[in-house]
Amino acid sequence: MSKKYSIFITALFCTFVFGFGLAHFIIPDRDFSEQENTFLAQFKPPTWDTVRSGQFMEDFEKYFNQQFPLRDQWVRLKARSERALGKQENNKVYFGKDGQSLFAHFTELSDEELATRVGFVNKLGDNLDVPVYFSLVPDKSWAWAMFLPENAPNIDDGSTIEKAQALCGDNVNFISLKHLGITCGNTQSPDEDGSFYRTDHHWTTEGAYRGYMALMAGMGRDIQIYEWSPALVSDQFYGTTYSSSGAGWVKPDSIYTMIPEGGTKGHITVDRYPEGEPIPGGLYYPEKLEVKDKYAYFLGGNQPLCIIKNPNAQGGKLLVVRDSYSDSLAPFLAEEFQEVHLFDLRYNNKSLKQYVADNGIGQVLVLYSANNFNTDKNLFKLGL
Amino acid sequence: MIFSSPYFLFLYFPVVLLLYYISPLRWRNLVLLIANLVFYGWGEPVYVLIMFVSIAIDYSHGRIVTTCKAKGNDRGAKMAVASSVVFNLLLLGFFKYWDFIVGNLNALGLDLVTREEIRSAINAALANIGLKPLFQAASSTLPIGISFYTFQTMSYTIDVYRGDARCQKNIVTFGTFVTLFPQLIAGPIIKYKDLDDQLEYRDHTFEKFASGVQRFTVGACKKVLLANALGPLWDVYLATPSSQLTTLGAWLGIVAFSLQLYFDFSGYSDMAIGLGRMLGFEFLENFNYPYISKSASEFWRRWHISLGSWFREYLYFPLGGSRVKPARMVFNLLVVWAATGIWHGASWNFLIWGLYWFVWIGLEKLWLGRVLEKTPAWVCHIYGVVVAIVGWAIFAVEDFSAMGPYLAAMFGFGAGALDTDFLYYFRNYLPILAIAVAAATPLGKIVWHKLPQRARQAAFPVLMLAGLVFTTAYLVDGTYNPFLYFRF
Repeated sequence: MSKKYSIFITALFCTFVFGFGLAHFIIPDRDFSEQENTFLAQFKPPTWDTVRSGQFMEDFEKYFNQQFPLRDQWVRLKARSERALGKQENNKVYFGKDGQSLFAHFTELSDEELATRVGFVNKLGDNLDVPVYFSLVPDKSWAWAMFLPENAPNIDDGSTIEKAQALCGDNVNFISLKHLGITCGNTQSPDEDGSFYRTDHHWTTEGAYRGYMALMAGMGRDIQIYEWSPALVSDQFYGTTYSSSGAGWVKPDSIYTMIPEGGTKGHITVDRYPEGEPIPGGLYYPEKLEVKDKYAYFLGGNQPLCIIKNPNAQGGKLLVVRDSYSDSLAPFLAEEFQEVHLFDLRYNNKSLKQYVADNGIGQVLVLYSANNFNTDKNLFKLGL
Repeated sequence: MIFSSPYFLFLYFPVVLLLYYISPLRWRNLVLLIANLVFYGWGEPVYVLIMFVSIAIDYSHGRIVTTCKAKGNDRGAKMAVASSVVFNLLLLGFFKYWDFIVGNLNALGLDLVTREEIRSAINAALANIGLKPLFQAASSTLPIGISFYTFQTMSYTIDVYRGDARCQKNIVTFGTFVTLFPQLIAGPIIKYKDLDDQLEYRDHTFEKFASGVQRFTVGACKKVLLANALGPLWDVYLATPSSQLTTLGAWLGIVAFSLQLYFDFSGYSDMAIGLGRMLGFEFLENFNYPYISKSASEFWRRWHISLGSWFREYLYFPLGGSRVKPARMVFNLLVVWAATGIWHGASWNFLIWGLYWFVWIGLEKLWLGRVLEKTPAWVCHIYGVVVAIVGWAIFAVEDFSAMGPYLAAMFGFGAGALDTDFLYYFRNYLPILAIAVAAATPLGKIVWHKLPQRARQAAFPVLMLAGLVFTTAYLVDGTYNPFLYFRF
């Protein structure tokens, strides 16, 4: 290497490392990452104690990594490079064969663990005098399995649902949603089915509607409103699976709302209980359509307890042991039941039995996505 | 701190470079010493104390040895060497092997305290007199790099005694040697005598810097783009229950591990050599395409060269080496390979792995080597690589109840030949495996040197920038960045 050439190489390298190093300090830090849907670490000045204990260094690494210039672009570049290398997944997300669907990896549950978990539901059924219904929403990797990469290792929610059904005791009525979205088997593109978001783990409003019909049939209800018409509220939704995948080439999803026959009547009231005291809320939060986590459009996101009242309905009082899938189901239930209590085990340590008795609940629905049911650590509270 | 992290590459290293080059020559060792201590203390600040103790002890022992020799007191010099070796081995023994030894002895009915119990006892004693705890959570209990720097400092006093190295009178210079950050935590294991002159005087040229940049970039790509990419494939097969392990799956997993380990470690050595050059140092090579070896003995002349040469020079030769009766040679080999095995980690499987190499190398010295000389080269290549890969299965599957079934599956006693999972992983990792296999041979190097110089000069900056850009992308993306050699 000649001296001139060496100077050039030296300069190139130094420009790269000094350049990004300096940019890190010049570019203002961000509070929140839309892409990752999370708050980012901030710089914490060192103190003698935090340096001595190593806490400062730990925090600083996190800060430096999370605030790195062009972080989202780097992540997307990596995803593209993985795809170019023939990988069919990135960061534990499968790239669907249709080129547009993203499937999260899930870990399989042992049969014993599943039996323990269904046992908590059985205990609830034994504890209560009112009917207890139980249902699991499959992930799209079951319904849309034909769009998974060839031979992709995957857990099979269909058999999880069958196993759970077989494990149910006498006092629990299982409603199978195994066939939700399965019509996709005959289609060329998952869009033609539309039961699940391609970029998010949730079911769509369409999927929730189908789930609703199946649940009502399973509960033996003669429902009041059959006709609903979809209305587009956002066509720019990138969900959680998209965030972890870095798959920048995928189209956004659309979010619809379903308008009941004859229009919304304005007789439905929603009370949120973020911290014990009720505050008025609504079924929909249009301001959430402006942020990254647009699914929170439905009921505004996670909350310990939410009570939806509709004096015109006929169906009595229903308690739903919820996860986030229930949020887009709630508008349908609201038309059918006088009161819908969405009860989240994660944020509640009250006895469900006591709650049902205190509030005159007429029936209980335990509704989880199969994956949440497999992983949630609070199910034991069902039996309290 | 590790090299393959954004804060090292874009903050620590640029700052060190800047401070280093704006300092006058005579201050540069001091700047480096301070930078080294920051580097080392970053993960667990309290362990900087070990560094100070280590510097002080080895420095003073070197002085004592020299003084004794000057006075003709050979006995005193020998005592000092022995004391330094004992100190370094105790340091290593306590931090690395204490819990392993205690665990095994306690299983036999003794009741010895573990390091964790000692740590809490010290913390409790400090709390009693109103001081804050000295030790934090028991996260990284092994001071990183201790296996490397204890070996380096041991070689110093021995070499001073043997007259192979001069005594270093300047404690800053000596401290810079002990703590030199490019090779502090994962080697190459540098003997003091190889660095002696460079510590006193080294030239800093653009040519050296640019060749350091080249080497560093190659190392970063090996570590981040190859080793880290192959890691998840090995993780899948390590986590596969024995009852589901197929023959092809087991081979796919262990081949992935073999390549991951090679690119992880040799990439780290390349980065160390590159960083060294950027600071004016020349370190010796540590790897030389081990997977093209034609025998077990050749593998160890190409794999982790600095460790092999250390054991040869300071253990095997003093025992008599090969110039002894065959029975004694076998014993010498046994000692060296048991030590090599256990050096890699405080666990039985590493000892077994060392003995595994003892068997192959012993056989080659006694008889197999002559057979191999008459065997076609391609058969020898297959023999060499298979011996290494099977060895990695013993090395990588630490859990004994899993090691047997894993080896059994590799040799056809598993859950069939293959399953759909294998098809998926093979299909997904084929391109990266192909790149990695090619990169483990000198093929790329040969092609590169066949190119006309102008082509190389035009291609290099483009490749370098691409390498740095993709490395950065994978680093920023990667929460998956376990560093395999931390345990050693």
